[in-house]
Amino acid sequence: MRCKHTCNSAEHFSRRGFLQGVTGGALGMAGFRNMVSAEGAQQLASSQKQVVVFWMSGGVSQLETWDPKPATDTGGPFQTIPTSVPGVHISELLPYTAQQMHHLALVRSINTNNNDHAKGDYMMQTGYRQTPGFEYPFLGSAFSSLLAPEESPLPHYLVLQTQGDYGNDSAFPLESSFLGPQHAPVSLRGGKPPTNLARPLQMPATSELRRRQLRAKLGQRFSLGRPSDDVEVYNASFEQAAAMMNHREMFDFEKFSAKDLERYGTHPFARHCLIARKLLENGITFVKIRHTDYDSHSENFNFHLEQLGEWDRPFATFVGDLAERGMLEQTLIIVMCEFGRTPKINVRMGRDHWGTAWSIALGGCGIQPGAVVGKTNANGTAVVDREVDSGHLFHTFYRAVGLDPTEDFVHEGRPFHRTDPKASAIQEILA
Amino acid sequence: MSDDGVHDNLALRIRFLSTWITVFAGFISVSALADEPLHEVIDRLIAAKVPAYAEVVAPLAGDDEFLRRVTLDLTGTIPTAEEARRFCDDSDPDKRSRLIDQLLGGPQYARHMQRVFDLLLMRRLPEMNVPTAQWQTYLRQSFAENKPWDQITREILGADGVDPDHCGPARFYLDRQGDADVITRDLGRIFLGADLECAQCHHHPEIDDWKQEDYYGLSAFIVRSFVFTDKDEKKSFAEKAEGDVEFISAFDVRDKKSQETKSTPPRVFGGPPIEEPKFEKGQEYEVAPADNVRPIPKFSRRDQLAESIIGTEHNRFARTAANRLWAMMMGRGLIHPVDHDHAGNPPSHPELLNRLGQEFATQKFDIQWLLREIALSRTYQLSSRHTASDLPTVALKDKSFARAILKPLSPAQLARAMLEATGEANVQRAALGDQLTEKTLDENLFKYEEEFVNRFGGPPGKPPEQFESTISQILFLSNHETIQNLIASKEGNLTDRLLRFTEEESAATADELFFSILSRLPTEQDVQDVSECLAGQTEESRTAAIEDLIWALITSPEFRFNH
Repeated sequence: MRCKHTCNSAEHFSRRGFLQGVTGGALGMAGFRNMVSAEGAQQLASSQKQVVVFWMSGGVSQLETWDPKPATDTGGPFQTIPTSVPGVHISELLPYTAQQMHHLALVRSINTNNNDHAKGDYMMQTGYRQTPGFEYPFLGSAFSSLLAPEESPLPHYLVLQTQGDYGNDSAFPLESSFLGPQHAPVSLRGGKPPTNLARPLQMPATSELRRRQLRAKLGQRFSLGRPSDDVEVYNASFEQAAAMMNHREMFDFEKFSAKDLERYGTHPFARHCLIARKLLENGITFVKIRHTDYDSHSENFNFHLEQLGEWDRPFATFVGDLAERGMLEQTLIIVMCEFGRTPKINVRMGRDHWGTAWSIALGGCGIQPGAVVGKTNANGTAVVDREVDSGHLFHTFYRAVGLDPTEDFVHEGRPFHRTDPKASAIQEILA
Repeated sequence: MSDDGVHDNLALRIRFLSTWITVFAGFISVSALADEPLHEVIDRLIAAKVPAYAEVVAPLAGDDEFLRRVTLDLTGTIPTAEEARRFCDDSDPDKRSRLIDQLLGGPQYARHMQRVFDLLLMRRLPEMNVPTAQWQTYLRQSFAENKPWDQITREILGADGVDPDHCGPARFYLDRQGDADVITRDLGRIFLGADLECAQCHHHPEIDDWKQEDYYGLSAFIVRSFVFTDKDEKKSFAEKAEGDVEFISAFDVRDKKSQETKSTPPRVFGGPPIEEPKFEKGQEYEVAPADNVRPIPKFSRRDQLAESIIGTEHNRFARTAANRLWAMMMGRGLIHPVDHDHAGNPPSHPELLNRLGQEFATQKFDIQWLLREIALSRTYQLSSRHTASDLPTVALKDKSFARAILKPLSPAQLARAMLEATGEANVQRAALGDQLTEKTLDENLFKYEEEFVNRFGGPPGKPPEQFESTISQILFLSNHETIQNLIASKEGNLTDRLLRFTEEESAATADELFFSILSRLPTEQDVQDVSECLAGQTEESRTAAIEDLIWALITSPEFRFNH
């Protein structure tokens, strides 16, 4: 399932031919360059909606995070702590996050009725159950196509992950499905700039620009009399790559201040949070940070103590920074994963896959600060109030950033719902 | 496999039926239009679909465009600068057909077809139980011998991988881990032009012809088969004497209409169900299953599969293959997409498709014969460029075939073309010296191919269905040392050759540059651009300018696409 660019009207071709003439060269980026300057970032912050997803890969436990059940048969060893929102308690594993709770909101009543990693991953990244023969775009690709400024040739959807994370870069083009490769994610591994962004040592700086100019000049004549969507896609990807090379400083992650490093920490996840802050400040539409691995079939409690110990402070610092910099009103924060973990503690002191009653956290743009929606029963084995699934969550994400979830994508003349029409947004969590 | 009488009788009947269909199809085509060669039929039927065809059709491709196109299509790489010059200068009026024969007869044809069919048949699935080298050798030899398509099909679908020296063709089953659903989908897609994936769970919601029974009819041939591991860990494909497909429509379940599961005997697309002989209990096996024993049933369902597929009604097997070969050459199937052959998606040229299928069958599924006829057609030899200032709408529609469609180079083609264009292939040829053969050269160049396939070929099992271009691919082309090293000057490569010209010889420089990379003469404007770029450049700055020119051309759309 890929994008379909073909429009058979000659008029359309000539219009695009014109656009290509304007933007095809290396110099077409001048207008955009202003946007990513310092003032540009401010300007962006006031208008453009942005999203950052914290993907708790493997399935973080709701009981050790947002919906603890201490002193029950399922509760485990950890206690709850109060938060900056009166009456709202979360796990004691998240002391820093608790202090930012007034910027966040919780959904504690998710039932996705699925315990499979791949299916849960698909469901929570697309808002749909997998159906053979059709692939919905991932949220990052969808929002890249719907929220990103059209004139920006930069990629709009970046994924931050550690070097050894299992995410396969070659599968990334699939995430954008019919929206096309320009909305596929670009991966940044190990806190480093994208692979092959740096100019080769032996290549003179003057060559970079000259190569692009020569390519545009010599290539242009070929397109005369040969209108082709594929050629446009090909040239557009050179523009995106050129835009990234023109903004290498945006991907220079060596220059965080000592103070920032002290506040966030220096481990990979802390660094990813700092990088995300920088990318958002530079106008990138969608950043997904993968934090692995929460798949704690054994030693669940030690596991979460360690993993959340790493996660809590940088995440909370990130939320606080965005609030302080006035970015939070425009930036939707989502903390989610493929499913939660079983209330039942297994013989290996682990918790298994559990899609029946679990939680996520949201915050920022369009979200009611401090809201808590839904409820599970006393020991967390079932949803008792306001049951929702991934469809409801996706409606909510769309509404939060000011998009209409009931509109359609159109692919090859056929409309596809942006979100599951059987679901609707969780109104009480929206600002 | 079994020498049971009933089985033989059945196989014979099926074989008889398929022979009869073939003969009958041949009879019609031969008697109806005795002397019209297929390539002329192609041109006649393509032209007939377009009003005022003569006025809107693109001109015939020039020698340079034709040479590059047919070389890429039949050998998977571009011609050398010398070959391009020689062909353009050749005044023999038959040089195009001579070239086609020469390419089909050369060793690079088999190498290229091996890659095309490897992708079609295995979708870059990782090596599991069969060494990929054996599979690739099998494919290559098959195309080198010009094995008929029905024979290749029989060999692949009949393979069990028991003989360790001949387990190549068994990769189709064994590296799909014997998974009946994966195999069923690919059988439909590859051999019958029907991507039945949706019909696994319910009747196809939008395609009336594709029923859940069709999916499971096909699946029933292999549902009894499984990957057998012997005591030495050697894998083979084995079969039990029992087991049936069971299915229930997900729609019925959803609508609470029915909870009853259904079953079907093996049968291909509305064809006759395979009748199974009944054996008394305990008598079903030639070799009964036991620990570490590979069972052999007296009646093998899988043994019926190849003939049933080849004999599918309406010549579907031949039609599907002909349509795929057409799409490989033309950039689009007469049925498009190629695995959507159903009533709701009629072919753009039904009569032509029938003729292609019928004659392909009549010619005993001779792949080279069909490719040759397609390449000889004027339709194939049209230019991709329309010269009219005001493009007629019909010429913009790919399905009119009124101009050549741009085809993105496959990752393997792109790698080989880059190696040829930059002269790296020459450097390697020189380095091999006495050891130079097609085989040793291929071995030396293979790492490049692999790198391009990994970066441009999509994830294993999911090759891109359409052209796509990602940022990471472009960053690779822009900044990766592999590309820089191809361009950097070394004895005998293109940069080295170009550096030997003086600044005054800019026309000759442009000529060598364009013939090497784009297989054509530079235009006046090209020559001027090259002179401007090189004007006043000396020493290092001249080297850099030449490298930049080469980079600009190997990343140009003209290079990236077969046009």
